[in-house]
Amino acid sequence: MKIFICDGTPDCFFTAAFDAWKERDCVITSQNDVQLTLGCEVIRVEYDEEKSERVKRGILKYDREGVNDAEIALRSCDPLKEQVVFEYIRELFKQKSPIKKAYNLPQVIDFNDILYKITGETHRIKGLLRFMESASGIFYAPYSPDNNITDLLMPHFAERFKAERFVIHDLKRKIAGMYDGHDWIMGYAGEAEVYLSEYEKAFETLWKKYYDAVNIASRPHEKQMKKSMPVRYWKFLPEKRD
Amino acid sequence: MLDAERLEILTESAKYDVSCSSSGSKRVNENRGLGNGSVGGICHSFTPDGRCISLLKILMSNDCVYDCEYCPNRRSADVPRASITPDEICELVINFYKRNYIEGLFLSSAVFGSPDRTMELLCETVIKLRKLYNFNGYIHLKGIPHADEALVFKAARIVDRMSYNVELPSEKWLKLLAPQKTKQSLLLPMKGLRDAIVYDKENKVRRGRVLPAGQTTQMIIGASPETDGQILKLTQSLYRNMGLRRVYYSSYVPVVQSRKLPAVGAGLLREHRLYQADWLLRFYGFDVEEILDENENLSPEYDPKCAWALRNMQLFPVEINTAPLAALLRVPGIGAKSAYKIIEARKFCKLDFDNLAKLRIVLKRAKHFITCKGKFYGSESVETVKTSLLLAGRSEVSEQMSMFSDNSVAISALTGEI
Repeated sequence: MKIFICDGTPDCFFTAAFDAWKERDCVITSQNDVQLTLGCEVIRVEYDEEKSERVKRGILKYDREGVNDAEIALRSCDPLKEQVVFEYIRELFKQKSPIKKAYNLPQVIDFNDILYKITGETHRIKGLLRFMESASGIFYAPYSPDNNITDLLMPHFAERFKAERFVIHDLKRKIAGMYDGHDWIMGYAGEAEVYLSEYEKAFETLWKKYYDAVNIASRPHEKQMKKSMPVRYWKFLPEKRD
Repeated sequence: MLDAERLEILTESAKYDVSCSSSGSKRVNENRGLGNGSVGGICHSFTPDGRCISLLKILMSNDCVYDCEYCPNRRSADVPRASITPDEICELVINFYKRNYIEGLFLSSAVFGSPDRTMELLCETVIKLRKLYNFNGYIHLKGIPHADEALVFKAARIVDRMSYNVELPSEKWLKLLAPQKTKQSLLLPMKGLRDAIVYDKENKVRRGRVLPAGQTTQMIIGASPETDGQILKLTQSLYRNMGLRRVYYSSYVPVVQSRKLPAVGAGLLREHRLYQADWLLRFYGFDVEEILDENENLSPEYDPKCAWALRNMQLFPVEINTAPLAALLRVPGIGAKSAYKIIEARKFCKLDFDNLAKLRIVLKRAKHFITCKGKFYGSESVETVKTSLLLAGRSEVSEQMSMFSDNSVAISALTGEI
């Protein structure tokens, strides 16, 4: 069995998909600590533009949204994501028409599950992200999402806060999206030191007050709250932090 | 700036308004302003009672000239009074919005001075928010009964959604419990706004449309003796004749001591069942006459769809691979999402029970009402079906509806509108 190891970028994955196409029994992964079994061969994949483009063109021939869907699925935190996307693409080539709604095929179910988790988290974070105003007037939002979704969030917030400057910082992956009031870019961001504006504390206090006051204490339903707003997100929410 | 004390008073007074949704508006961010609408709505936080916070829900004043029996802010109540100026509201909304705490504003008010004066100040606030602060986020404005029509229409061009609460399910009890409000003072503006919305739609007005997210209303359940049948009949006529987007039910909580009111609350189960029936009306193609008679109440044991199916066993089982969408939607245990999934999947191959399980369709109820490739795995006897439906329902009673808790965009896309 051959194990193709890629660097985690979509382009490298598409290159790996090209190399692995003819293999009957193979694994594509970006996990470096992959378990080796007897008789398996490890291949480190280097990005090759031509191979990658050929795979993408092939996908687009059968499904106009296929490349986009695959690139979204590759942001997952699931260690098997490359394999799932690969099998989905193989099935697409076999069927020669869009299969995203063929809910009877196991490859499609696995692929949609991954996709659903990512779009679900993106939607959720659009609500749960919290900005704080820095002394220089830039709004800063730290968070650590399950999946790599920062650049999916940027267009939403750039449209919303058109005239503001803001930073969305993924602490887990050490990357940040930055918007300067006109365009946004992604970049590396290790640790950030933020000096808060003099009003920040006051609005945060008002928000906590509001949160406590709007609750109807005689109708407790904590289970529902935790289902909609999982505890792992709480450390970035002022109303839940302490 | 607003102080915490007033914020607390004015929030406490507003929180029994159920509506929190921020859906239905596609408002764009104009002139490099702040904010835009999100069609599916976005929830920004959840409180320990399981409800979501989407909008900043606040009263402009809780100092009311009306004396509605059920209301904690009625004139004769001994509660702390407070009010907030238009500028203070704007400042709070803008700063909460920039921190992504909220999706917009839900502004309501007690009637202070006169209905016109109140509506005028509400109007001034939303106009300020849009024009001076350049805010394009979601605004839901409560309509004040008896206020001047011109003011109402002025506000309707500015905000995304408006609501006049019918308060009680019958005119008789409205008179008894809310003597200063009349049926006409609630229904006339609702009709006027409906006509304006229809006019804009028919004439394809694009910019500055009246209420892009439509109208909603709310009524209190259990403060007066109407049956579920009456409540749902009213609900259906509000949807069909007034074009409302939603009717909210608020289970009566005895916060006020009064001889005219029951001493105990209506409980969450009744509210839950009413919402289930409301869903059947809006997304499942049911008429209220099919669900129950006017003098009946919904069964506490079965959800309304199960109850309907048990009365109409002659229509079942239906074959998953051939039944039309309308028939699938009527199978207990198959929701709108699942029905659409089945329709898509069966284009690729014939489905069996294994396939359905993989689609994450819960079969514990549905199996009694369907066949897959002709196979039937349910019980033949109606009595056994009843028992197993009861058991299936038991674990879910008192669980609050959570259909929109996540990925609401996907659902609103499926069902057309929220």
